[in-house]
Amino acid sequence: MTASMTGEPAVLETRDVAVHYGGIKAVDGVSISLGGNRIFGVLGPNGSGKTTLLAAITRLTKLTRGDLVFDGVSYATAKPHQVARRGIARTFQTVRLLADRTVYDNIALGTDVPPKGTKRTSKERRDAIDEAIGRTGTATVLKRYPAELSYGSQRRVEIARALASRPRVLLLDEPTAGMNQHEREEVAALMSKLRDEGLTQLLIEHDVQMMVDTCDYLYAMNFGRLIGEGAPASVVQDPDVREAYLGKNWDKNHA
Amino acid sequence: MNWIAANIIPLQATVTTFLLALSFQFPMRLGLFSLAGVGLFGVGAYSSGIAFAKFHWDTWSSVAFGVVVAALVGLLLGLVVARLGGLYLAMATIAFDMIVVVLAGNLTPLTGGYMGLFGIAGKVELWHLGIIAVIVAVLFALSERGGMSRRIEAVHDDAALASSQGINVSAYRLTAFLVSGAVAGLGGALMLMVRNTTTPDAYGFGLIVVALTVAIVGGTKSWIGALIGTIIFTWLPVFLTVVGEWREVVYGVIVVLAALFFPTGIWGSILGVRKRLAERKHAGQRDVVDEMATEPDAAETEFLQTVAGKDSEQ
Repeated sequence: MTASMTGEPAVLETRDVAVHYGGIKAVDGVSISLGGNRIFGVLGPNGSGKTTLLAAITRLTKLTRGDLVFDGVSYATAKPHQVARRGIARTFQTVRLLADRTVYDNIALGTDVPPKGTKRTSKERRDAIDEAIGRTGTATVLKRYPAELSYGSQRRVEIARALASRPRVLLLDEPTAGMNQHEREEVAALMSKLRDEGLTQLLIEHDVQMMVDTCDYLYAMNFGRLIGEGAPASVVQDPDVREAYLGKNWDKNHA
Repeated sequence: MNWIAANIIPLQATVTTFLLALSFQFPMRLGLFSLAGVGLFGVGAYSSGIAFAKFHWDTWSSVAFGVVVAALVGLLLGLVVARLGGLYLAMATIAFDMIVVVLAGNLTPLTGGYMGLFGIAGKVELWHLGIIAVIVAVLFALSERGGMSRRIEAVHDDAALASSQGINVSAYRLTAFLVSGAVAGLGGALMLMVRNTTTPDAYGFGLIVVALTVAIVGGTKSWIGALIGTIIFTWLPVFLTVVGEWREVVYGVIVVLAALFFPTGIWGSILGVRKRLAERKHAGQRDVVDEMATEPDAAETEFLQTVAGKDSEQ
C-alpha cells in the first residue's frame, strides 16, 4: 500500500496487471506502486511491454486481468477521459499534436477539461498555461504550427500540454526521443524540479544513463514481466536486467 | 422588393439548404462521416407536418415539435451506430435515410403515404427564415471558437489524444448526432411550412448527394463553408438557366473542378492559404531547439548505437 521505498502512501498502483492480445502477453502480471515526490522509471528493451503498461494505466487498452488503483480507489473500469480527470496526465511515445492548431492552442488543450469536481477561472487557466510555457521553454514558438518545429520541440509542446493540466501524476513515454544531449539534460532538470515540488512522475526511456541519473526508483521489464526493481544503481547492476536490456558488454563500454 | 418576390423560392431554399448542410457538416467536424442529415430533415418535416395537420398545432409549435423529434431520433441513431466509423457509418446512416423514406410512404394514416402530406399552410415569412439562419449561424460560430473548437478538433484528429486530455469522446459524438438532428429537423420543418406539401421521394438519394456536395465543396471545417456551398448550389441553377439544356453538364463540371482544386472545400482552401502565409512569416525564425543545437558528441553517439544494437538483438 505504500509507494516502494518512499514510505509514503501510494497515489497510483497497478496490481497484477495483464494485457494479452490474443496469444501475445504484452503485459503479464505487473504490480507497480507510485507515490510521493519521486520519479519512477520503467526500463526495458523494445517490445518489453512498457508502453502497453502505460496504455493500461491510462485505460486506453483493456486489462486482461488485474486492478488499477488511484488514491486507494479502483479505476480498472473507468473510461480514459475519467482517468485524465482524476489528475493523471501523459505524453505519447509518438508525438500527438493538433496539426492545424498553433503551439499555444495545443498547450491550452491541456487545460480545457478541469479535474473532476473542480472549476478553473480563466485566470487560473492562463496561469497554468503560462507556467507550462515557461517551464518548457516554448515561449518563442507559440504562434507556430507543430509541423514547423523540430521533433524535439514538438516533444516539449507535448510536455507543456501535460503540465498545463496541473496533474497529480505525470506519465512520460520517452519524452526525450529525438532530442540532443543538451535538451535531454534540460528535460531531466525540469523533471527533477517538478519532483521537488511534489509531482509524482513515471518515466519510460531508452536512455539508460538518463534513467539512472533521473529516477529515484526503477522497475525493469522484459517479456511483459517485472524482472527487477529498486534503486536505479542496483537495478542496472542486476545480472538479469543487464542481460535483458543492456547486453553483456555494457560494463566494458560504460561502467 | 420585386427581385425578392421573383426569387422567393431560391431565397427560402437558401436557408433550408444551409440548415441541411450544417446537419451534414457538424458530425464531420467530429470525424463522423454520417449521412443521416437527410433522413433527419425528413423526420423534422414529417413530424412538424403531422403536428400541424393532425394535431392542429400552430406553425411555430409544429416547427418546435419537428426539431425535438428529429433531435431525439438523431440521438437514438447515434446510440445505435456509436461503434461504427468511416464508411460503415456512412452505409448505416444511408440505410437510416432509406428507412425514413419507407416509413413516410407506408404510415399512410399519419403521413399521407406516397401521395404525400398536403395543406401545411404554415405562416413562415422570409424574414423569419433570415433571423433563424443568423441565430443558428451564430451558435455554430460559437462552437468554432476557443476551447470548444479545440476539443472538437481533438476528437476529430485523434480520439485517444482527446480522451487523454479528459474529453469524453463518446459524449461528444452523441452530441454531434443530437445537434445534427436538431438543425436538420429545423430545416425540414421550415421547408415544409413554406412549401405546404411534401412526399417521401423528396428525401431520397438525390437530396443526400445535394447535401454532401454543398458541405464538401464549401468546406467542412466551418459554418462559413456550409454557407458558401449553399449559396453556390442554390443559386447556380438559377443563373444557369441561361445555358439552357447544358445546365446539368455545367453543374457537373463545377463540382468536379471544385473537388480537384479545393480538396478541403472552398473555405478549407482559404484557411489553408492563411495557415501557409503564417508559416511563411515564421520561416527563418529559429526553432526553440536551434538556439542551443549541438550535434550529439562522439561518446553519446557510440552509447546510443550500443543500446540500439542490443535492442535489436532481443
